[in-house]
This record gives sequence, structure tokens and C-alpha cells, in this order.
Amino acid sequence: MIILLIAAFIGIALFEAPGLVQRKYWRELTAFLLFLVAAFILALLQVLGVKIPNPVKGIEVLVKYFLSLMS
Amino acid sequence: MLEKGKISSSQLTFLIAGFTLGSSLILSPGLVAGHDAWLAVLAGLGSSLLIAFIYTTLAVKFPGKTLVQINDIIFGPYLGKLITIGYLWYFFHLASLVLRNFSDFFVGLIYPETPIIVFLIFITLTCASAVRNGIEVIARTSIILLFVTACATFLTTVLLVKDMEFTNLLPVLDLPLKQFIKASYAATTFPFGETVVFLMVIAFLENTKQAKPSVTLGLILAGILLVVASVRNISVLGVTEPIHTYDSYQAVRLINIGEILTRLEIIVVGNFLAMGFLKISVLYYGTVLGTAQLLNLRSYLPLVLPIGILMVILSILQFESTIENIHFAFDIYPYYVIPFQFGIPLFSLIVAVVRGLPKKAKEGSK
Repeated sequence: MIILLIAAFIGIALFEAPGLVQRKYWRELTAFLLFLVAAFILALLQVLGVKIPNPVKGIEVLVKYFLSLMS
Repeated sequence: MLEKGKISSSQLTFLIAGFTLGSSLILSPGLVAGHDAWLAVLAGLGSSLLIAFIYTTLAVKFPGKTLVQINDIIFGPYLGKLITIGYLWYFFHLASLVLRNFSDFFVGLIYPETPIIVFLIFITLTCASAVRNGIEVIARTSIILLFVTACATFLTTVLLVKDMEFTNLLPVLDLPLKQFIKASYAATTFPFGETVVFLMVIAFLENTKQAKPSVTLGLILAGILLVVASVRNISVLGVTEPIHTYDSYQAVRLINIGEILTRLEIIVVGNFLAMGFLKISVLYYGTVLGTAQLLNLRSYLPLVLPIGILMVILSILQFESTIENIHFAFDIYPYYVIPFQFGIPLFSLIVAVVRGLPKKAKEGSK
């Protein structure tokens, strides 16, 4: 599963990066790599079964707090 | 310019209609109002026309500018960027919510043994290819897809006429006013108010002046189809309607014309997915284009796949079960979207008028 994940990410990098390097789009390449690395870390943690904090839970708490202020 | 494509006003109309139908075809809006859901949808449509007026006024004031650039002009570079990040999160999160809704729908009803990740990945890949091709391609597909969906909605309604009990719609408005207002408010935020993402798209309209009529027409078109679907579901399913999470699917399943025309739901589900594809694509496009503009990139293409992966991850992460998803959609979502759908657009418009900004923007664009 992890090998599959790594293969998929390397595939995406090979799909996008050469064109960017050819056109000397360094800024775009940096942004692409940043997002890709972030996505890879999160995906890897999920595959390994590590609990990642859920942003939607935070939104729920926030909304409930504001609703309790209203009533 | 990040996006070279241009869309015509009729394409915008169909795109908005398809976007609005999106996931509301599977999760009917206004369910809280019981058998008056169709009235709640109508009320939601009415109030959403007012909100859409705010969005289009903003878009017409700043022709050729997307939401990211509008925020920069109105609130300055720092506060503007902060608001933009909030919006990008909202579009991103909404896209992953819709993705999750559709995948839950498929896993729950049609493919119970398939892992949900399969649907998430394949829907995202399809949308990624659409987003890479640009808004023009998405807008062109919307005409065909919406036409098919409109036909399917009317056809299923006609085929169900013999099962309909119009007394199920009576008594009209027999519920507390507060509950009705809550239901119509929920219908305003989901699906109509979500058109706020079109502030990213209207910039590419050939003639910006036509934004107002085409957005209004698109919303009305979607509203009519939703009301037809809602009346069909209520009159067919009656009091059992609120029990079914996916009531359109349940109603269409009951089609039975002489034991020959049965099990039509799978065809209709294809249409639902087509509308979901439009909705996810537009939101996905808005997120990717907005991020590229925020980071001052020359092309948004490299961001498409990484953001798509993040979307899939958030989709899996955010809910542990369909029940949590439904709870979020009905109890949290209507309040969560207040700043994005009403607060900030209204505030932007007021600030823009007070500061007399459109003139300045014209000078800047020369």
C-alpha cells in the first residue's frame, strides 16, 4: 500500500515537473512541490493509521460556540 | 492571464443551473419542512436571488477580476489575502464535502462492498482532467449534461404520475413558522447560496454586463427542477419521505410501468453524478485558480493534482460515517457558511461603494 502511494506521487511529480523545469517556472515548481509534499505527508499518515486532527471537528465546535452566544 | 478561455452568457446559465442542482439532487434541500419542502425550496430560491444580486453586482463592478483580485482591491493586500485564504478554504472544503456526499451515496446504496476511496479517487481524477482543460470546457459540457438531467427529471416525474397522491401535499404550511423559516434558510445556503464560487468564474464571461440575467436565469432553472423533484418525492413517498436520506433515489426506485420499465434508478444516478461532476469541477477550479492567483503563479495547472489529493484526504478524514456527514450538512453547515455567503460579500459591496472603488479599478486596469 505504501509502495503504491509512493509510486503514485512519483508518477505525479514526473508528470508535472519536467514541463515546469523546461519553461523555467521556478515559482510554480516550488508551489507544486510544497503542495505535493504536504499531500504526501498527510496521505502517508492516513495510510499508516495515524490520527490526524480533523478540521471539520474544529468548525463544529466553533459554530456551536457562536450559536450558544446567540441564544 | 491564468485562464485564456471565455464563456458565453448561456453557458454561464447552464453551468449555474448544473452547479446548483449538484448534490441537492441526492440530498434534497428543505427536508426539515416535511411535506412543505417544496415551498421551502421556493422560498430559498427567492431569497437566494437577492443574495445572487450582491454577487453579480460585485462581479459587474469589477469586470474581468476574480474574487481574489476583488478582495485585494477592496480590502488591501494584507486583509484581502486573509479573506481570500478563508474563501479558498471554503471552496476546497465544499468540494470535498460534495465529493464525500456522492461517494457515500454510491457506497451506501449501489456498491456496498467497494471501499469509498475508489469513488473519491475516480471522481477527483475526472474532475482534475476537466479543471486542467479550463473553465471553457467545463462550461461547454454543462449544456449537454444539464439537458439530459432536465429530461430525466421530467421523464421520471411523468412515469411516476400514477403513483402520486397529491393529497400528500396537504395541508399546506401546517407547521410552525420558525421551522419553515429554518428550512427555507437551509435551502438558501444549500444549494443556492453556494453560487458564491461563481465570483471566480464570472470574470471570464465574454460580456460581463450579461452576468445578472444569466445568473438569475440559471438559479431559477435549477429552482424549477428542484421544486419538480421535491413535489414528485413528497407526493410519491408521502409521510415516509423524511425517513429516506436520499429521497429522490427512493422515489425513482418505485417506477414500475407494467413490470417492464423498472429499476430505472441506475440511469438517474448517472445523471446525479453528472451534476455532481459539474459542481465539484467548478469548486475545484475555483480553489486551484484562486490559489494560483494568491501565490502569483503564471499557470494553475501544476496545482491541480496536489490540491485534488488534499481534497481526497479531507474527504476521508472529515467524517467517520454517513450519519456524521448528514448531521454536519443539516445542523452545522447552514451557520458555517454565513460569513462566506452573506457576510463578506455584503461587506465587500458596502466598502466598495463607500470607497468609490470601481473607478479606481478602471484606472488600474489600463
